[in-house]
Amino acid sequence: MADVEAARRALEATLGPDEVLSDPLGLRLYARDASMVEGSCALVAFPRTTEDIVSCVRIAAEHGLPIVPRGSGTGLAGGASPVAGALVVVTSKMTRILEVRPADRLAWVEPGVPNLDLATALRAHGFTFAPDPSSQQTSSIGGNVSTNAGGPHCLAYGVTSNHVIALDLVLADGSLVRLGSEGPESAGYDLRAVVVGSEGTLGIVASACVRLTPLQPAVRTTLFDFETVEDCAATVSDIIASGVVPAAVEMMDRGIVVAAEAFAHAGYPTDAAAILIVEVDGSPAAVEAQSRAVEAAARAHRTRAVRIARDEAERALIWKGRKSAFGAVAQIAPHYHLHDCVVPRTKLVEVLAGVYEIASRNELVVTNVFHAGDGNLHPLLSFDRRVPGTLERVLRASEEIVRLCVEAGGALSGEHGIGLEKRDFMPLVFSAEDLSAQACVRSAFDPAGRMNPQKVLPDGARCGDFAMARGDDAARVAADLPEGAWI
Amino acid sequence: MDLIHPSSRADVTDAVREANAARRRLLVVGGRRHVDKGNPCEVDAELWTTQLDALVSYEPAEMIAVVEAGMRIGALNRLLADGGQEWPSDAPDDATVGGVIASGASSVRRLKVGALRDTVLETELVTGGGRFVRSGARTVKNVTGYDLHRLVAGSLGTLAIVVQVALKVRPLPQMRRTLLFEGGLELAGSLLRAVPTAAGVLAMSERVELRLEGWREEVDELADEATAVAIPSDVREGGPFPSTKPWDAMPVVAEVAVPPSRLGEVVVGDAWGALAGVGIAWVGLENANGDLQHLRERARAAGGIAPVVRGPGGLGDEAIAAVEVHRRLKDAFDPNGVLAPGRAWIRT
Repeated sequence: MADVEAARRALEATLGPDEVLSDPLGLRLYARDASMVEGSCALVAFPRTTEDIVSCVRIAAEHGLPIVPRGSGTGLAGGASPVAGALVVVTSKMTRILEVRPADRLAWVEPGVPNLDLATALRAHGFTFAPDPSSQQTSSIGGNVSTNAGGPHCLAYGVTSNHVIALDLVLADGSLVRLGSEGPESAGYDLRAVVVGSEGTLGIVASACVRLTPLQPAVRTTLFDFETVEDCAATVSDIIASGVVPAAVEMMDRGIVVAAEAFAHAGYPTDAAAILIVEVDGSPAAVEAQSRAVEAAARAHRTRAVRIARDEAERALIWKGRKSAFGAVAQIAPHYHLHDCVVPRTKLVEVLAGVYEIASRNELVVTNVFHAGDGNLHPLLSFDRRVPGTLERVLRASEEIVRLCVEAGGALSGEHGIGLEKRDFMPLVFSAEDLSAQACVRSAFDPAGRMNPQKVLPDGARCGDFAMARGDDAARVAADLPEGAWI
Repeated sequence: MDLIHPSSRADVTDAVREANAARRRLLVVGGRRHVDKGNPCEVDAELWTTQLDALVSYEPAEMIAVVEAGMRIGALNRLLADGGQEWPSDAPDDATVGGVIASGASSVRRLKVGALRDTVLETELVTGGGRFVRSGARTVKNVTGYDLHRLVAGSLGTLAIVVQVALKVRPLPQMRRTLLFEGGLELAGSLLRAVPTAAGVLAMSERVELRLEGWREEVDELADEATAVAIPSDVREGGPFPSTKPWDAMPVVAEVAVPPSRLGEVVVGDAWGALAGVGIAWVGLENANGDLQHLRERARAAGGIAPVVRGPGGLGDEAIAAVEVHRRLKDAFDPNGVLAPGRAWIRT
């Protein structure tokens, strides 16, 4: 039985009264992340050190509270929306960059460091942190690790998992372990790789050792515009087929271009059916060679204009429009629901057509801004949830979009994660056996199920089912299952 | 030693279930190129994956190839070359894709192409308990549940048998050039600073091999920048990368992994090659006794490890983080301990 009052006293005694929230307003503030999923929590704590995190986990265990780790709260899948009665452990006060070691191409950082702050700090050393989610001004490294965050530039440089080489992780039992190492390989199974993208269900990141990526000597950002969405998408496939892997290939359709332009004044052509932002980098000669191939692909598909950023200011402006797109849609309607499914690159046109059809049939406004190079779609439904019946239509359209992407051979999420929002869609892509195996991974880290319960896996996915494969041990395993367990 | 030679995933599942019933211990074998890696383990049978060698799908515009685990590296390379692409493993032609992944083999071009485990997008597995499981997706980005496919990479066939994989592949570089320099680790460091985007900077006891890959003009440009940091008479053009592997002539080869700046503390003798900026060094030794122990002590002091990849010597006795998590994983995926018991880091 949870004893919230005792937990509060213990947390205040250990962390200090200013680092614990228990008043109704404070609890309400941390009852959701940036998704549409609202939860509720019992307590909120703000650790400042690794030891504080350990204390939070121990105190929660002692008093029977589940734990929900949280970074900056920009998650879009409800991964940090707490379940009832939880202690929310917020790492946003742990913002130190602990050390930068260019010779080892690594840096140790606390989990609350905002992504962009890290990238900026590394610039001085001639390096960057490659993952650059659109939320990068706010989203934290700990959160990036949790969701295996991507961003426009992971087309060429890979997702967060490729850029985190070690983690100091506080496990559900309060023990602190270092997974991975400062070297390229480490002893044991690659648990680091499993923790990245596990949405705070395997432990809390106390610090992360990130890989430094050398800054490229030259970079060129070009804006193309097209009269049809099909031409724009076909250009993407042709660029890749020509042997060029640009640093980023971002596509925006007319609806989002109009909204972003009104907000960012980036000079986007608002009469185009779709625009494509392509960034290539490397040595000056590499940039020239790639630019030629990219431009040829765009011209072959009737691009109307080729706008090359002349300087860093213009490049920043072009990116500003792209990265602020999700904020800009507030002009369309007060609420939005953002999707994040991945489809094979060659299916982009077909899936986009399907998305438009679904939106129109459900009488919703849909705009699209996405990582076209990765096939990572972000259909964005704009609506006003105060209008009766709207939310139901949004949810219905959302499910249809998810099913469409899965049928095209895609994945449920490219970079936002599963959280609570997509949990029940998991059986669309995984068998019961697959999900049981995943449940085994989770319970290997957290046998008591204290860490971010109810997230990621649907009800019914249990490791116990998997262990039944023991055959003659089956009866013993079954006897271990709690009463009423799903089998 | 019994041999099991499955030709379908159903055969694999049947074989593993039978092994569980009979408590028969299995060693999963691909091309035999990585069998030395791992701690010694006693098994009753070998399960060969080499008949599972089909191409499942390959679409160059997706930059993804789906193949069965027993496909040979040579066959994969030929297939991908037709699409103008490669899977940058550098393993010998007769190694298998599954073997390269399960052994966690490293590429000499890791500086540019990254760790091979990061190219594994989806895996189909038969667990030690005889369960068929799929993890991941055939897309380059995917955050959908727990990444079993990442866990299994490098686990030396002790959790599950990889039967099929989807690999992220990359375009073949338009041009490749190897430059040979007279010098050692110090010069390698200077070259790395001059051309941080090189494909590889391999230091050996008396020379450094620099691999440049990319667009034609780019490679020439980088070559100019690299040669500027050396004495011109000390630079020659090379061919394949690396042109020689002096460590390969030795009876025992350890693959050291340390933070890159510590490489100088671990290399010893003259039969070694160290990847600057990466932290991998292959060190050839006469035997797996005293020399190996000393190497491991130095690697440990530098914050790293030194498993043997050829010859006797195993992985070493390094402390494992989260031992209990390892035990529970092994117990869940291989409940009867039929998959190469003791071969991986945790000896259960």
